[in-house]
This record gives sequence, C-alpha cells and structure tokens, in this order.
Amino acid sequence: MSEVMGSNGQSGAAIEFIGSVRERVATVVVGQDQVVERLLIALFTGGHILLQGVPGIAKTLLAAVLSKSIDLQFARVQFTIDLLPSDILGSEILDQRTNEFTVNKGPIFANLFLADEINRAAPKVQGALLEAMQERKVTIAKETFVLPAPFLVIATQNPIEQAGTFELPEAQLDRFMLCHRLDYPTPDEEREILRRNAKLGVHRKEKGAIANTEFDMISDEPVGSGEQLIQAMESVHRVHVSETFIDHVVELVERTRQHPQLELGCSPRAGIALIKASRARALIHGRDYVVPEDLYALAEDVVLHRIRLNYEALADGVTGAGLLEELLHELGAMPSATRA
Amino acid sequence: MRILLLAFLLGLPLLAQDAKAPTVGIAAEISQLVLPGPELKVKVLEDRHDPMVLRIKAVFPHGDAFRYDLVYYGLEPGKYDLREYLERKDASSTADLPAIPVEVRPILVPGLPVEPRVLQPRAVEGPGGYRALLIGIGVLWALGLIWILASRRRKQAVAAASVERPKSLADHLAPRVEKALAGELPTAGMAELERMLLLFWRRRLGLSDMRAAVAMGVLRQHAEAGPLLEQLELWLHRPGTSGEVDVAALLAPYRETSAESFLREVEEAQAS
Repeated sequence: MSEVMGSNGQSGAAIEFIGSVRERVATVVVGQDQVVERLLIALFTGGHILLQGVPGIAKTLLAAVLSKSIDLQFARVQFTIDLLPSDILGSEILDQRTNEFTVNKGPIFANLFLADEINRAAPKVQGALLEAMQERKVTIAKETFVLPAPFLVIATQNPIEQAGTFELPEAQLDRFMLCHRLDYPTPDEEREILRRNAKLGVHRKEKGAIANTEFDMISDEPVGSGEQLIQAMESVHRVHVSETFIDHVVELVERTRQHPQLELGCSPRAGIALIKASRARALIHGRDYVVPEDLYALAEDVVLHRIRLNYEALADGVTGAGLLEELLHELGAMPSATRA
Repeated sequence: MRILLLAFLLGLPLLAQDAKAPTVGIAAEISQLVLPGPELKVKVLEDRHDPMVLRIKAVFPHGDAFRYDLVYYGLEPGKYDLREYLERKDASSTADLPAIPVEVRPILVPGLPVEPRVLQPRAVEGPGGYRALLIGIGVLWALGLIWILASRRRKQAVAAASVERPKSLADHLAPRVEKALAGELPTAGMAELERMLLLFWRRRLGLSDMRAAVAMGVLRQHAEAGPLLEQLELWLHRPGTSGEVDVAALLAPYRETSAESFLREVEEAQAS
C-alpha cells in the first residue's frame, strides 16, 4: 500500500512521521495500538477525543508521550466537583505593583489538553471547556484569546463509578469527534508491561531516592516537529473520498435516524466526523483514498456516543453497541427507505 | 219485637247462602254429595260459551250410590242446576237424579250500566312481531359473519397465491451487477452494490456473528474474497484507476451465483 503514497512526497513524509510517532509511543506504552491510532486521527483532523475506560490503563501516559513525541505543549487537569471554569480557562488578577489587572492564562492554552475524568466536574465547567473546544478561543474578562494550534482535547471518563458524576449530555458528547472505549491489555501485553515496570529502577534525588515511573521513561527529544504535524494534517485533506463512500456514510447516518429503537440518531456532524476520521485513518494505513473498511472500523467510535436508545429498547435489554453492530451488518441488506 | 226477631231468624239462612255463593270466575266446592244411581261423570263441554264449568274432584262409593266432591265455577251470574252437566258413565238416564242448585253471584253492583268487554276471537297471526324481528336480525347477523369470514378467506387465498418467495440478497444483487456491467448504475447504485457484496461475502463465509470491523479484516485475508474486494475498492474508491479494473471479471462470480445456490451456501456456512 505504501506505493499508493509513493507518488506524493508530502504524503510519504507524513507516513514516515506517523511511523516514528507510533514507534516512540510504543517504547513507553505497551499495546493500545488502536488508541494511538485514534489519538492520531483526532490530532490530524483537529477533532477531540473522549476516552472511556477504567483507571490505570495508560490514558494519561499515552497523552503525555504523544505530546512529547511531536513537541507539543501538554497540560493535564484532574476534573473535580469544586473545579471552576477559571481554573481551566484562566482569570484576570490584580497586579498590586502596577495596580492593574493582568490575564493569567489557564492550562487550556496548550496543544494537548488532557481533561481527566471530565464527568466529575460541574456542568458549567464542562460547558466552558466544550465551548472552548468548539470555538478554539477563550474569553477572559473582556479579552478574547485564540487557543494554540494544533489544539486537541483528550477527555477521559470512567464508565464504572457513576456516583457523584455529571453525565455529559448528548449535545456536548457530539462535540467529541471520537469516543473510544479502552480495553484491558491482552495477557501478552500485560506480561510485557510487568517486565518493563520491573526494570524501571529508582533515581536519586537530593538525599533520597524515588522509584521511576513510565513517565520518567518518556524521552524529551521529539521525533516529529510541529511542521511535520501540519504536513500530515494537510495530507489528510488530500485523501480522496469517493461519492460511493459518501453514500455509505449517508446510508449509515440515515439508518440511525430511522431505526425504531433509537430515540436520537446521528447528527450531520457525525457524518462529517466519519469522513474526516476515515481520511485520517486512510493516511495512517498508507492509502490516499478511503475504503469501506475505514467506515466499519471507525463507526463505533464516531457513532455510538451520538445515538440514544429509546425506553422500549432499553427495557428489552438492547445495547447501543449491539444495535450499531446490527446496523453495520445489515447495511447492505436492503436499500434504505430513502431509495426507490 | 217478636216480629223483628222472627224476620231475622227467617232471613239468616238466605244471608248465609248468599254469603257462600261464589262470585263470577271463583271456584266453589260441594263436598260429600251423595247422588243415587251408577257413577256419574261430567259431560263433555261442547259449547265454548257455556257459562258453567264443572269438575268431579273425587268419587267415593256410598252403598249402592256414590259420594262426590264437586268443584265448579260460573262465568256468568245466575242460578244453575249442576245435574244438567252430569251424565252416567254407563250412559243410562239421569232422570232419577235430584237437582243440584247453585248460584253464581255477580261482582258488579246490579244495574251498573257497564258490561265487561266480550272477547272477540281473533284469527291466529302469521309470523311477525318482536320474535320474528329478533330471528330476522339473527339470521342477517349470521349471514354477514359468514360473508366476512368467506371474503377474508378468499383474500387470504388470493394473497397467498400472489406472495412470491421473499427476495434474497442474491435477487437484489443480480440486476445491479448487470447494470454495473452495462455502465448504467448510478453512484448510489454502486454504493448499494458494494454494500451488498460485502454482506454477500460475510454471509457466504459465515461471518455474520463477527463484529463488522473484525469481519472486514477477515474478508481481506480470505483467498477468494480478498482480491475481489480489493479490486472493488480500486474500482469504486481509488481515483484514476477505474480503467485499470476489469469490471466484467470482477463481477463474474456474482453473475453465476443464483439465489438458490447462495442460500444453500449461507446455510452450509451457518451449519459449519
């Protein structure tokens, strides 16, 4: 497939860049190839990603190593109930020496912003973050600041502990281009994690010693530059999307809207996200055109958090994932009602 | 005073008799009446307008005579002799019988210018009236029910005759393949064709229960399906390569697949 890209030098460079980043991530994070792919898709398309998974499966580590691999500014905020919008966006403070107000920018002014356990913050904090994600600018006092480019929010959510959380409403979930559900590592990967961890050792600090963590293993030397990232983003936009593929996307989106067990189907934003993400995936897989496999691979991450089952379906024990699988499986069964 | 007492004593039996005399339509009984001669029976009532009706309630032998309990009622006020309503069982003469006088008193006050209405016999009516109406409605209801059931059965029979075998995926696939080969399939039709072919292979290889994303990977690795689907992708998705793809060769396997053979293959795949 690489010869597909061979005709275009910039795309070839993008493939090399992606390969380097993935290699760097793999030196610290074991497995999780799919999550790395999804993070790159989000990064290349300017979308945002929500990671759902239990604690301790390297979500933060992934974000950290990705940011350092591409020389990006990284900020992490642990969301809690008492968090205020100004804790993220920034605030105006009074400088007593000059007796003037100065703006103190918040951690959101980074290329990669990790919102850990986003559902633990109050809705007004979630709203402020999601507004910044959408508009890519922040207003502090009376002044508006543009967020740095590229800007990617990686939010995490623990699907198990729901007590004391504020579930993100569908309208806000829709702002996330992808919602990826992380799995535990396979037994082989788990063995490798343990082996690597056993070799971490300790480092001396002042008069004591601190056990090394995986974060200490992250090299500060980036393997890719911001310019390479921009080139990769440009390459994504050159990936060809056929009319046939657009029809597949429309068909899937349409079927979610017409399904009798769905209260809420996909918005047009879902269709746009499917196309964008498919282009990025095609580039990552060395193609300059999208194929149905991209759609099938990304449907769960793009569609599942945007649909809502109705009460009858919930009472019948239907799950969103099961229903989406059924939709994907039957996509070729019969033409939808929109066709003659 | 004596005259008054005598008059009272003489009039007492009359008053008592008047008081015992039944009124019109009310039955009265004469018990233990001994009548000489052979046993008696009541004459058959031939005149339906006869104002007296007599019945022998019980008969007892009484020496060479008989003792009777008689019940009677009169339909018209007046004096009657019950002897006229009796005859011998052996048809012998009743001339030796004593008179059996009875009186039936009127209910109305004498001289009242009101006569009870005489019943006018009416001819027996033909079928009709409420009962006939009910029967008619019932018959109509039953006929309607039978008609509805019969028409429904007829419709079902017509529908069953007109319903064809449900179209299988292969049935939908065939015309699209032919149109694609002729270059007459629009973009939307191409997309449908591709989705059908993906489903076709998933069903054919028994991958229906596999996650769609995983099944796509398996299809790519399959010796028969992989190259065909790759060619299909080149034809439909890769820009500038439509001329390089031999569409006739690409779609040939699907042309040869009939609905029956496809269904058989799917069943075999599911069984395995």
